Amino acid sequence: MKIKLVSIPVDNQEKALEFYTKKLNFVKKIDVPVGDGNRWLTVVSGEEQDGPELLLEPAPVNFEPTKVYQKALFDAGIPYTQFNTSNAQKEYERLIDLGVTFSVKPTEMGTVKIAVFNDTCGNHIQIVEVL
Amino acid sequence: MSFYNKEILRIKEDCYSNQWQLDTVIGLRNYINNNFSEKLNLDLFSRIRFVSKYHLLRLFKRYYGQTPNQYLINKRIEKAKEYIKDGLSISDTCHEVGFESLSSFNSLFKRKTGFTPRAYQKSNFR
Repeated sequence: MKIKLVSIPVDNQEKALEFYTKKLNFVKKIDVPVGDGNRWLTVVSGEEQDGPELLLEPAPVNFEPTKVYQKALFDAGIPYTQFNTSNAQKEYERLIDLGVTFSVKPTEMGTVKIAVFNDTCGNHIQIVEVL
Repeated sequence: MSFYNKEILRIKEDCYSNQWQLDTVIGLRNYINNNFSEKLNLDLFSRIRFVSKYHLLRLFKRYYGQTPNQYLINKRIEKAKEYIKDGLSISDTCHEVGFESLSSFNSLFKRKTGFTPRAYQKSNFR
């Protein structure tokens, strides 16, 4: 078995696609309608397009427990997932310039530097630079 | 302050308060990143960081979750993928990333990526 895809719940797929491609520079990979206005919608990192796909899953809209779980994580400030970067400070400054809001500014924590931003689709996302 | 912000402070205090240890392992990781194509071993690392080799091994594993040698192998395979994508031959790639034996390079590459270097090279020309 291989890990090829991970998913993240989003409250609006179109808005998520906009954020993940325009702000994070991810690239749309698969976009297939699956009924009721939902899509099987995946993106990949622009820097590693053969890497794992990220499924922008409309679960909070269709399955109430996901909405509750997502909100609980968000309210506690807990990132739903994390992405790696080679320079957390530089990425933080780039995203700030694009209007992205951060709940944790670049912070060294042992052998990593982390920062946490709001993806505007119901999630906090952590970026991490391994030091 | 959110729950997560408090957790960050707690973890920093509980797990990452020894700056000397952090400087030691971060310095070693940087050294490996900059010298992965050279002949590297624990004795050398120990001399560079002025720490006994078994203590250094334990510290690196404690903070990075893998031994310096495991980290070095992963680094070399990651760089080998880049070199092959850039068009370098398999034998030149093997040499450039610091492996002495082509057969051990082949088998490690296969174990780490799921492809032999040759198959990986072909898949990038499709």
